[in-house]
Amino acid sequence: MRQAHAILGSGVHAHVDLLIGSLPLRLSSDDSSLLSAAAKRYRGFDAPQENRFSIKIQREPAPTPERHSFSCDFEGARVVADADGAYFSGVRNEYALDSLLRMFLSWALLSQQGFLLHAATVVKSGKAYVFVGRSGAGKSTVASLSPRGTVLTDEISLLKDVGGEWHAFGTPFWGEFRADGTNTSAPLGGIFRLVQATANRVVPLRPSELLKTMLPCVLFFSSQLGDNDRLLQILVAASEQVAGYNLEFQKNRSFWEVLPS
Amino acid sequence: MNVAASGVWQKNPTLAWREIDEETVIISPGESVMHELNDTGSFVWRNIDGHRNAEDLASLLVEQYEVTRETALADTISLLEELSTRKLLLPAGSQQGDSGR
Repeated sequence: MRQAHAILGSGVHAHVDLLIGSLPLRLSSDDSSLLSAAAKRYRGFDAPQENRFSIKIQREPAPTPERHSFSCDFEGARVVADADGAYFSGVRNEYALDSLLRMFLSWALLSQQGFLLHAATVVKSGKAYVFVGRSGAGKSTVASLSPRGTVLTDEISLLKDVGGEWHAFGTPFWGEFRADGTNTSAPLGGIFRLVQATANRVVPLRPSELLKTMLPCVLFFSSQLGDNDRLLQILVAASEQVAGYNLEFQKNRSFWEVLPS
Repeated sequence: MNVAASGVWQKNPTLAWREIDEETVIISPGESVMHELNDTGSFVWRNIDGHRNAEDLASLLVEQYEVTRETALADTISLLEELSTRKLLLPAGSQQGDSGR
């Protein structure tokens, strides 16, 4: 039986294998404490897979890299990536690792017809309901008002076209509400822009309105024209193929009654 | 006559843009800024090709929409000024390429 976490004789991790949004990743590093922290943090998203995308992690800052397909800096840490692998450098703790992993995924998902969105996702009756909004819009509130075990994330949702059908995937990225770490996915039931109100109501959005709702909430860090063009293409496709709504909601469970089934 | 009225413009080739619902959404990768154009703005944007000037674009507007030539020209010049101020347009020939789609 293969293990998602390869452990050396001393109990030190040699690598951590993850599956996020059906993207198989292998984190490897000489820094055993960092890998142990990663194994704990991403528990639930560990999975042994073939043909993993290699991410090498080092605590020390790296010299200025040669040209790469993607590169991004974050508070002294850096991610560089190409089609055959990625390097994270200057990773001093698990929080820096988490930030670089989000940055990397925002780029890697382009090739998977997917993207990361500041949104909570809740699965109900086999469908994923995505609640989008910036900080304070009510993502964590919606998550906390949903039945336990149904929340894929309250902070960063992963949306992806799977064979012509848009799905939401769980992510290991949470805000205030700690989800159960279930790495599952479900076809989208709709994308909802959160508006706190005194009554519950849903109002359909036109595709252009949905696009303009999502764009400011998309996690994206590449400044390359080709990457941005690809992202826009993916977002337009999602906006045209997924039902979008304004959700005016009260801060209680009653808003579920007005959601389209 | 001002620059927007007399000049010939091209889309800034560093931008990503798409049409949806007869609107246009433009993003500037370096600045992570989103710009929006309504249906008539999108029509003008679509026809900015590095060759047409404001009068040419206004003529196309008159053919497409029920609008007087005077109004079409004034609106076109206003839009070109706005787009050039935002650096969404560049004087034709100032940079090669056009990422139009």
